[in-house]
Amino acid sequence: MLYVLEDTINGILMGSIYGLTAMGLTIIFGVLKVINFAHGSLLMVGMYVSYWAIRLTGVHPYVALILVIPIMFIFGYSLQKIIIRPIFIAEKNVREPVTVIIVTTGIWYILDNLTLLLFGPQYRSLGNNPLQGKMLELGEMFISMPKLYGFVTALVTAAAVHWFMHKTVMGRAIRATSMDREAASLMGIDQYKIYNVAFGIGAATTGIAAVTLIPFYNVFPTVGVLFDIKGFIIVVLGGLGSITGALVGGVIIGLIESVGPQFMTATWTEAIVYGLFLVVLFVKPSGLFGQKHDW
Amino acid sequence: MNSQHINKIALLGVLALAFALPLVVRSATYLHILVLLFFYAYLTTSWNIVGGFAGVLPLGHAAFVGIGAYTSTVLSLQYGISPWIGMVVGGVLAMIAGIIIGLPTLKMRGAYFALATIAFAEGLRVMVENIDYLGPLKINGPRGLQIPPLETGFSHFMFATKEPYYYIILIMLLLVMLLTYMVSRSKLGYYLVAGGEEPEAAMALGVNVARARLIAMAVSSFLTALAGTFYAQFSLYIHPKSIISLDMSFEIAFIALIGGRGSIVGPILGALLLRPVSDFCRIYFGDSLPGLHLIIFGLVLILVMLYQPRGLQEPISRLYQRIINRPQPATSGS
Repeated sequence: MLYVLEDTINGILMGSIYGLTAMGLTIIFGVLKVINFAHGSLLMVGMYVSYWAIRLTGVHPYVALILVIPIMFIFGYSLQKIIIRPIFIAEKNVREPVTVIIVTTGIWYILDNLTLLLFGPQYRSLGNNPLQGKMLELGEMFISMPKLYGFVTALVTAAAVHWFMHKTVMGRAIRATSMDREAASLMGIDQYKIYNVAFGIGAATTGIAAVTLIPFYNVFPTVGVLFDIKGFIIVVLGGLGSITGALVGGVIIGLIESVGPQFMTATWTEAIVYGLFLVVLFVKPSGLFGQKHDW
Repeated sequence: MNSQHINKIALLGVLALAFALPLVVRSATYLHILVLLFFYAYLTTSWNIVGGFAGVLPLGHAAFVGIGAYTSTVLSLQYGISPWIGMVVGGVLAMIAGIIIGLPTLKMRGAYFALATIAFAEGLRVMVENIDYLGPLKINGPRGLQIPPLETGFSHFMFATKEPYYYIILIMLLLVMLLTYMVSRSKLGYYLVAGGEEPEAAMALGVNVARARLIAMAVSSFLTALAGTFYAQFSLYIHPKSIISLDMSFEIAFIALIGGRGSIVGPILGALLLRPVSDFCRIYFGDSLPGLHLIIFGLVLILVMLYQPRGLQEPISRLYQRIINRPQPATSGS
């Protein structure tokens, strides 16, 4: 029984980190109405940036956030501004341009393979760091410290994004654009600039997720693909565009992955996740917290 | 000579060249590359029926390749049934799978359909990797299935040389192109294009967009599975990571998009341009610059989407038209 409880707690912790990795995806979808297929690659870039930042300076992993957040924001902002924006302008009248999906897929392939060229295929782990292998003892249960840090970070990030979206002028403009592009434009909001900012914020939260992962996760050029597919499942499960949904969706996946192996072979849990995803798509495509008109 | 004559002659010339190629290309390696080129051209043409004309974005077609390959292989290994029969059985199974996936998702907006097809293909791969025996059928999990080259001959779909494979895939490609041509000229084709460009307007005019897309999906998954059987018999070894891989699904879509989705020559053009790039990059830079061809794919894809969103077939066919329609010089006496 205690094992199940321990697995449940660890599942919730890991799941909230999954939710954090998917948060950027859902923010970007909420505003641009486009699935960013390069999302996993953004996470991968974030992980390499934090890996090198921590490796070269030797600071506590979470101090790297000071560097990773702005770098990832600028990276996402420029990516949207230089590569994706021209397509939005060319396909002004299309609500959900499929072409953008294709272009982000191209970005995914370029980023992943460029990283492969630069850093090689080997797995890198941070190794010696203050969080490595730390466990929190709760009675007879062991809770992973880096995952606990990740859990707290996920909640804080979600709260911060929520605050930003509701209390700042830029946040309100972003929400207005996500609700109705035309009306927002008529109110004097530059929708393309909003897209840039939203993409930047999405990339920055992905950078935060990368920092929470790096103390206990290996980094390699295709690491993003694992989180890419998982991210798609999480955001559809929680409802595309919903930040709460991303966290809840992440926790559901985390629980299946950690509690599932008690009852079956671990590799089967992956099949269950895909099955659940298809069921949600067929039965309730708007997800748990999504708005109905968004699908 | 008018342009229609030139078109016919050009077409016949290309056909003659395609059939005569193995007489010139004696190297097994080059023939292998050509067979794979046609294999991808075939897959992409099949993909194009739903991904091109219907305007949706399926990204899990490797699942159908896998269903085709596994069905015919299991049937021939365990029950001695000719792969040609297994090919059709696999096609029907893939068609059923395609309908099950398409039924709820084809009504949805683009992104959801793309995600559903990815999830289906990845889910199928994970399942195959986890199952050794499906009832009485041996699938052999992640180790895959090996086809022992015992008896060669047409009925066994097994040949000692590569030439027969070349002609089989060439004929398959020509047939699927002919079918695509017929579909594009049919009522279904017009419904698909109408639904792909302006779904709301088409529905308002009484076109059942979802039904047309579903038929396209069924035809496309059936045809794709046939190529799966071909691949199994050609490579004599299938395993889930190679045949139900996301990379294959994406490569099919890339070829179509770069060549030009929704056109008949687009997939062929895309395969002609991209396959050699990937083969030669792997041969010459496989060790020193791994993944180079994928960087090129990504770059070309982005550039094409930015500057030629209808694919490279458009500027090339415009160029072709300009060449054959140019004013005849007076001295030619025509």
